[in-house]
Amino acid sequence: MTDTSALLNRLANDIGGAQAGPIEQVEHQLEPWEKRCHALADVLDFHKIINTEEKRRGVESLGEVAIGKLTYYERWIAAFANILFQKAILTPTELARQMDLVAARSTSCDVRSDYPSVRSG
Amino acid sequence: MSTHTHDDHHRPVDADAPVGYYEVMETAVRELLIGKQLIGPEEIRRQIEVLDSRTPALGAQVVVKAWLDPKFRARLLTDGRAACEELGISFYDDTRLIVLENTDKVHNLIVCTLCSCYPRPVLGLPPDWYKLKPFRARAVIEPRAVLAEFGTHIPDDIEIRVSDSTAMVRYLVLPLRPEGTEAYTEAQLAALVTRDTMIGVVQATIPRTQRTSL
Repeated sequence: MTDTSALLNRLANDIGGAQAGPIEQVEHQLEPWEKRCHALADVLDFHKIINTEEKRRGVESLGEVAIGKLTYYERWIAAFANILFQKAILTPTELARQMDLVAARSTSCDVRSDYPSVRSG
Repeated sequence: MSTHTHDDHHRPVDADAPVGYYEVMETAVRELLIGKQLIGPEEIRRQIEVLDSRTPALGAQVVVKAWLDPKFRARLLTDGRAACEELGISFYDDTRLIVLENTDKVHNLIVCTLCSCYPRPVLGLPPDWYKLKPFRARAVIEPRAVLAEFGTHIPDDIEIRVSDSTAMVRYLVLPLRPEGTEAYTEAQLAALVTRDTMIGVVQATIPRTQRTSL
């Protein structure tokens, strides 16, 4: 066994049995976007676009640094974006442009409370 | 493995704060998928309603029914999902549900070491601690120490079984009915069945204030 074998044998999500500190019994109410993100995950699963295991693996593929720094639903949406790129459902350019539109809109009005539809085609 | 902690650093909610990068990403992904007609514009809202309708009260209803009705209990232990559906609790995902019965010899605890799988149709969304590293890492290797941190002390002659959830198989603990509850109504019993009793980090107990009056 080399020092690096653990990097292959244990991916970032595989922490069962690892050393860890005390359990802090924390909870929080989901923010509106977090709840939408959860609902999006379920809807993607219903349509067989991204299933639970693909989502889990997508989070793991973010790598240990990102997994450690992003919050739970930040990891999910980042994983969804990557998986949708891999499946050629979205392109990175398309998402970047749409994010610019959303960000520009959000400076003038609050995007969190409504669901504006986007023009198709 | 690194030793970093998986603390979810939740930022304070501020209605006037600029919309964050990941929230913008969520909105953009959703809008693009709707634009491509891969998901319907109403589906997200409808699923939020479904998520909001799921709370540990549903799980408590299942547990109380199992305490009171031995035939239902048998069906529940054979096929958890079918028995829940009997009570009108629909499963909105493709998961199987295995119900783990606590006895005077066995105490059950559920965990998801790889991520955060949880019996959401019957309990709602899991608490943050269930999704964080300390619980996921330690529950499978030192369950008695983990339970002690929740104030639960299981005698050494009682076996502790830890069940690790997967994307397809979810677990629910059927706690032991506390002694002294023979005269309880269904509503009184349901009040004893909290979320944490169905995860298995605590046992169902009669609150101290009720012990003297009954």
